[in-house]
This record gives sequence, C-alpha cells and structure tokens, in this order.
Amino acid sequence: MKGRIFDIEEFAVYDGPGIRSTVFFKGCPLRCKWCHNPEGLDFSPTRVTKLQLCMHCSACDSVCPSPGKCTGCGACEKACPKGLIRIAGREVEAKDVADQILKNAGLLMQSGGGVTFSGGEALMQTDFLLELNSLLKPLHTAVETSGYASENVFQRAAKEMDLVIMDIKHTDPAVHKEYTGVDNELILKNLSWLMQSMIPFRIRVPLIPGVNDTEENLTSTARLLEGAKALEMIELLPYHTAAGAKYASVRKEYRPGFDTSIRPNAITEPFLLRNMEVHVL
Amino acid sequence: MNRIEEARIFLKNKCHHAYRRELSKHEWSQISKEIADPALSMEDRAALRLKKFLENEKIIRHPGEKIYAWRTIKSFPDIYAEGEKEQIFASHYIHEQGRVCNISSDWAGVLAGGLLTRKTGNRARDITIDAVIEYADRYQDEALSNAVRFGAKHYEDALKLLRILHFSLWASNVYHNTLGRFDQYMYPFYKKDIEAKLITEEDALALTEEMFLSFNRDSDLYTGMQQGDNGQSMMLGGVDRDGNNAVNELTYICLTASLNNRRSDPKINLRVDKNTPLSLFIRATELTKQGLGFPQYANDDIVIPALVNYGYDIEDARDYTVAACWEFIIPGKGMDIPNIMAISLSEIVNGVIRERLSEAESYDSIFDSVKRSLSERAEADAKKLSPIYIESAPYQSVLMSDFTHDISEGAKYNNYGVHGTGFSDAVDQLAAVKKYIFDEKSVSKDELLSALRTDFEGSRTLLSLVRNNAPKLGRDDECTAIADALLNAFADALSPLRNERDGVFRPGTGSAMYYLWHADTLPAMANGHLPGERLPANFSPSLLVTDAGPLTVIRHMARPALLRVMNGGPLTLEMHDTVMRNQEGVNKVAQLVKSYIMLGGHQLQLNAVSRETLEDARIHPENHQDLIVRVWGWSGHFVELDTAYQDQILMRTSYQ
Repeated sequence: MKGRIFDIEEFAVYDGPGIRSTVFFKGCPLRCKWCHNPEGLDFSPTRVTKLQLCMHCSACDSVCPSPGKCTGCGACEKACPKGLIRIAGREVEAKDVADQILKNAGLLMQSGGGVTFSGGEALMQTDFLLELNSLLKPLHTAVETSGYASENVFQRAAKEMDLVIMDIKHTDPAVHKEYTGVDNELILKNLSWLMQSMIPFRIRVPLIPGVNDTEENLTSTARLLEGAKALEMIELLPYHTAAGAKYASVRKEYRPGFDTSIRPNAITEPFLLRNMEVHVL
Repeated sequence: MNRIEEARIFLKNKCHHAYRRELSKHEWSQISKEIADPALSMEDRAALRLKKFLENEKIIRHPGEKIYAWRTIKSFPDIYAEGEKEQIFASHYIHEQGRVCNISSDWAGVLAGGLLTRKTGNRARDITIDAVIEYADRYQDEALSNAVRFGAKHYEDALKLLRILHFSLWASNVYHNTLGRFDQYMYPFYKKDIEAKLITEEDALALTEEMFLSFNRDSDLYTGMQQGDNGQSMMLGGVDRDGNNAVNELTYICLTASLNNRRSDPKINLRVDKNTPLSLFIRATELTKQGLGFPQYANDDIVIPALVNYGYDIEDARDYTVAACWEFIIPGKGMDIPNIMAISLSEIVNGVIRERLSEAESYDSIFDSVKRSLSERAEADAKKLSPIYIESAPYQSVLMSDFTHDISEGAKYNNYGVHGTGFSDAVDQLAAVKKYIFDEKSVSKDELLSALRTDFEGSRTLLSLVRNNAPKLGRDDECTAIADALLNAFADALSPLRNERDGVFRPGTGSAMYYLWHADTLPAMANGHLPGERLPANFSPSLLVTDAGPLTVIRHMARPALLRVMNGGPLTLEMHDTVMRNQEGVNKVAQLVKSYIMLGGHQLQLNAVSRETLEDARIHPENHQDLIVRVWGWSGHFVELDTAYQDQILMRTSYQ
C-alpha cells in the first residue's frame, strides 16, 4: 500500500542500536514549538527549497498550478535551474521503500543495527507502517513516536517492533498543550501500557530551555517511569539552536516561544537516583 | 605546565620564527658560487650543498628538550649555475620540481645501523654522511653522536636520530619524502626499553608527542602546493613482511600522541583489514573526531594483492606505506613516481559523448569509444614523460635499502602512477546517456547534444532531469556496473604501457589539486555539470549528488575493479562533527569505517567538519587560526588556503 514519507536517512546515529536507516513519516498531530522537522508536519506534500543557493528567479512559482496548497505535482522541482527544490512527502509504495532500505541490509545487520520509523508521527499511518515493517523483517525495527495515538493503534504497532522510542515532552497537561498543541492524557495512557509490556523501550525528552528542563519536570518524568518492565534508558536531547534553520525553506515562520539562546539544563540526577540509565545526546 | 604542553604553546605562538634568518646577499652569492661550480658533478654539488647548509644552521637547544633541530635558515641556494637549469629542463621531462620526491626511506635500516655502515666510497654520498654526523655532533649529546654513527640503542635515541636524519633530508633539497611505518621501525627500540623497565608507557607517549610536534616546527618553510602540503605522512598498523599482524603498543601510542597534539603533522595513516578489531577503529575515530582529517585508512586485503599484481614482491607489498598523500609505495625500495600523470576521466567521457553520440547505435559503442579514447590519451601522455631528469640526491640515496647508487636513477621499483580525476562525474554521464538515450529513448541525441553545446540554456527540464533524477554513483545502484567497467577501462588503457625505467603505469583514484585544475576546463556535461562547477576530491560521489546516504556511498565505492586501480586515492566522507559528539556516535562511525573495509573498499578518509564553523572561518579568519581541514591528501589550516580550495571544501556533502 501507499504512504507518505519525507526522507530516508542512512546512518542515523542516535535512533537506536547499531547503524540504522531512519524513515521519516509525513504528518504529525502535534505542533511542538521547537520542532526541527517542519517539513514533516503536514500530511500533504511540502515544497522544500535550499535557500542558500537560490537565485530568486521565480521559475518555481511561475509553473506552480496550485499556489498556496502544494499537491506534490513536482512542476517546481523540474523548473528549478539549480535543482534546489525537493517535494517532501510524495506517495510511495511500502515495497519500494523497503527495497531501497534492504539494499543496505547487510551493513545494517552486521553492526547490530536496523531501521527506525520516525517522523512526523509514524503512528498516523499505521497500516502503511505495519506493512513496511513486515517487509523489512528480519531486520531490527524501532518506532520513534510521540505516543499520541489511540490506544488500539499504539498497541498494535508497538507489538510489532523490536524497540519503541517514545517522547515524554512534559508531564503537566496544561504546559504540554501550550507547547505541543495537544493534551498529554493519551500519551500517558500509552506509556502506562508500554511500561507494563515486555517490549523494550527508550524514553526521550527533548530538553527545551525554560520549558521542560526543570528539576521538577524531570523528577516527575522519572517518577512516571518507576516500575517499567523493559525500560532500556532515558535519552535527553538538548535543544539545538540550528532547529529553526529549516523553517524558511518550507516557507514557514519559526516562532519558538522560548528563549533559544539559553543552553538547556541536562539534569540527570532524578533518573540516576532511580537507577535508570540516562544519556545526554 | 609540563614540557610537552610548553612546547605546544611555543609552536602555536610561532616563537621559533625568531630563530630564522635569510642569508645575506653576500653569503648567498658566496655559497652559490661554491656549490654551483660547473667543474663539479651534479652529485658532488648536491652533497656539498647539504654540507654547507648544515654548517650554516645554528644549533638551538631548549632546556629539557629531547628532540632537537630547529630550522634557522629559511632558504638556501640550489646547485645550478646560471642558465644551466633552464637548459636541462628544456631538453627533459621534469616532474614537479625535478627532484626526488614522494618516496620513503629505509628508516628501519638506518635507525638500527647508523650512517657509517652506509659508506661505500662514493665521494658525494660519503660527504653527506659526514655532514650529517658533524651536524648531529654539534648538539653535544653522546647518545645522538653514537646513534648517528652506529645506530640507536634506545627509543629516545632512535627518535633523536630520526629527527636529525629527517631534518637533514629536507635540507638536502628533496621533498615530500615520507615518514613511513613509524610504529614498525620504532617498535624494537620501544620494546627493549619497556622490557628493561628503562621507560614507562607514559614516557614513551611524551617522547612521541615531542617527536610529532617537531614535524610542525619548520613545515611552513617546506615546499608544497598550499601551506600544509608537505608530505610528512606516516603509516601505522598493518602486517609485517611475513604477513603477521603487526599492530603493537606504539600504534596506539602514536594515535594518542596525534590526538593530544592536534597538529597537522605528521599526517596519520592506518592500515587495517577485515580482521582488525573494532576497538582499533574506535581509537582511530577518536582521532577523526579532532577534525584534523586523519587517520586515513588503507585496506591490506585489497592493497597488498593489488601491488603484487603490479609486480611487487609479496614481502615488499606487505611493507607498503603511503607517499605524501595516498599513493602506495615501498619504503627503502621504491623510486616510483606515483603522481606523474593525471587523466581527466570526465573530460574523456564528455569528449566521446559530444563527438560520437550522434552516430552511435548503442550504449556499448559509446563505451567502446571511451575505451579507445582512454587508451589513446594514456599512450600520448605517457610518451611525453621521457627523457626524465631528476636531480641527483646523494643523501636520500644513503637512506635507501640499496645505498650503492644514486636514487635519482631508479631503484627496485620504478613504476609511475596516474590519477584518474572526475571519476564519479564520468560514471554519471555514462549512466544518463545509457538510461535516457539508449534504454528509455526518452531523450533524443540531438536534444542532449544541443543542450551540451549551449550549457543547457533553454533546456532547463533536461538539465533538471540529468542533474537530479538521472542515476548517480553513490545513490543509484545501476551506476555500479558502469563504475566497474570504467575502472577496468582505465586499467586496460595503462596496462600495455611501460616507462623508460621499465616500470608499469598504475591507475589510481586520487585527484590531488586536479579537482580544481581539471574542473576549470570542463564544459557542460551529460550529468548536468555546468562550466565552472567543482569536482569532488579523490574517489567520491559527484558534488552534484546532495542526497546520497553514507551506507549506499560506501557500498558503491567499494568496487571489485579497484584491485586493478590501486595507485591510491581514498573515498572521502565528510561527517558533520555533531555525529561524533559522544561515544555512541564515535563507535558507530568506527563501525561504518569497518564496514567499508569489510566490503572491500581500498582507502578511506573521513573528515569531521561543521559547515557553520567553516563559514564563520571565512568571515572571521582571526578566530579560526587553528582550524585544520583535509584538502586532498593532506591537512592544512583552513584560513591559509586559497579561496578556491575553501570553496571546494564548502561544496562537499556532509552527512549529519
């Protein structure tokens, strides 16, 4: 079946064990203010332009049949004399994606690596995800998710994975909603199911200065994770100032809503105190 | 602060520049008259020149310093009388500066046996031996005086001796002659001292660091294409002459010393094979992380059999090291000229497409024309290389395994190396023609030819097609068969040729500065390359391919046909420095390198770069005096490079 992805990254270093290829699924139900993959937010196709070399000749706009609402027709891509345009998120067959990744299967396996499904939010395209996943077996597979999905979808997908990498962006529902656009109730429900399952999982916290890098939030995150059956580790990802760089290339405005110049605090003690393995990436 | 840290700061602040002087006009003309005496043979003049040079050098000793020698004279007259050089050069083929370069000495033999055993009664060579001994004696260090005469006994003496020998080699007017297999020839001294408990591993590390720093003292005075291009390459690891694994404690000590020093010299190379443990790759990757552009890896599994195929004895092949950049040479025994020729593969393919496409009936007939054109070019260019003139080099001759003749006349191995540049762009041109003209027939011959003639003006759609969507090496699998065919065609074109010293021509995958020079003259090409655009360094995907992934790249570039194209020239991968920001990233990069070796890749060079840092260095060079980058076969200070080289480095893809 068909689905939408916006990239396949070879040699993803921080998406699970070993050497991995990561598939980025198009579309996300969250709108995190710090999102560093703005081209993955909408489910519909997105025009991405490398602006550094752009001559602003307007060849792209002049051929666009649908200004304002990208259909992914690719006319602009062909029109750009410097080849700076890429349509992110065309429809692709799961089999074609799998074939492309499997060309490097030997390299992935040899290193104890595999494939990670990221995004966007991979669980938004569950059937496509599960078909792609089955085509890639016996490779090690992992999903990297916000956890924002119906319980049924979350469980169905998680059970097929060798590893789940899940974000906990904030434990407070109101703050969560303010910075990501959605409530965290569903996420926490899925987390508590995951904690009781035997599926190996990692928790990720993107550390956003002044938003969730407080002792209080990280302590309550650690508390939430007490008693998990198959928690491998917690990974803290300090916010990177380059995160805003891509917005202009997809004609979006970057409005982080926090002070991007401050280095976030990477507080590991709450996890270490509870004998949880923690890494700052 | 310890001795080594002090030495690092001293160097960094260029305090030693105060020791230097230019000869006065009077001194220059006096010395010149004496050396360039038409009554003397060239050999005698070269020997006399070294003697005079060393006599004029001032002895500088820092308190506590163990490794001596600071160059105090910036330049010295050469051996030719007025008009003589021009006359010789006009009637000969001259490679680069017409002097012995790009070879490696028999350091093992000289360090163990000293110089006196190398006296043969040849006046010139014996003069150089006496001159170097006399120079060493001026340091009034008994251990050194003994070592230079009879050979070193201890690790420290061996290092002192190597420094004096190497310093004198530069003074003798040969250049880019490399440091060879340091961890092999130094190991007997190290091992003996460690076993006798005369030194600890920490002592050895400090000495090695001091030694490595000494290679940076005078390097700005040495000749090269750009600052940093000085051929002070060193090879670590590998197997011994019997084929046994020869990685030892010094291999690791050298990697650590280089990492601690963070200086561009010596340029570290590491020999590995399919059995090399991941731990060694990890240690080496920690060095890569420092951003100096080394180590550069060479794969014994591929290089050794390939050298044997070229006619090298198996024991010598196992002893290979690199020339200044990446060309494989045999220490002590080779007088190969591994960079004597360069063929622009992109230009050959482009020429064939422009001239032959309209009447070509199939892709095969195009490829046959490429083969013919390559053979014709190789034969024509090879003919231009004789008679070759190389200045006599009596002192370098003393340092060779067979020290009974002048090295400029040749040695056991006298092969020539030929760079093949623009390889990937050549493959991509062929792939585009094959796919669109012959397989799919979706583009007409006229359409492509007229687009090429007009630099794709008015053919934007075609340009976009061939530039972005056409099959590309490093991204699309249909290119690999073409890549193998082109490598084989390159090898076939050179294999019937012999040089005037009866050596073979070794095809290679290096580019050196030709990545700029050859690119300057390339017109529009069938892969969408436009005039003025750059070529990649060495054996790497085209710079037009911006969406290749490192896994596909290493799989594509580990070509079986490389066994026949083994002059040297690495796959170059640029890694964003954040990839290696923690141990997990370092381990995975190490695993990637190991994977390339397991796949049968020949040579690999990784750069940890940050585009942001490089761009900032363009704007604020004053803040980035220490920023070191890999240029082609060597690393240098980014801010000291010509803009054209800076541009090319910024164009390279970096994998995040």
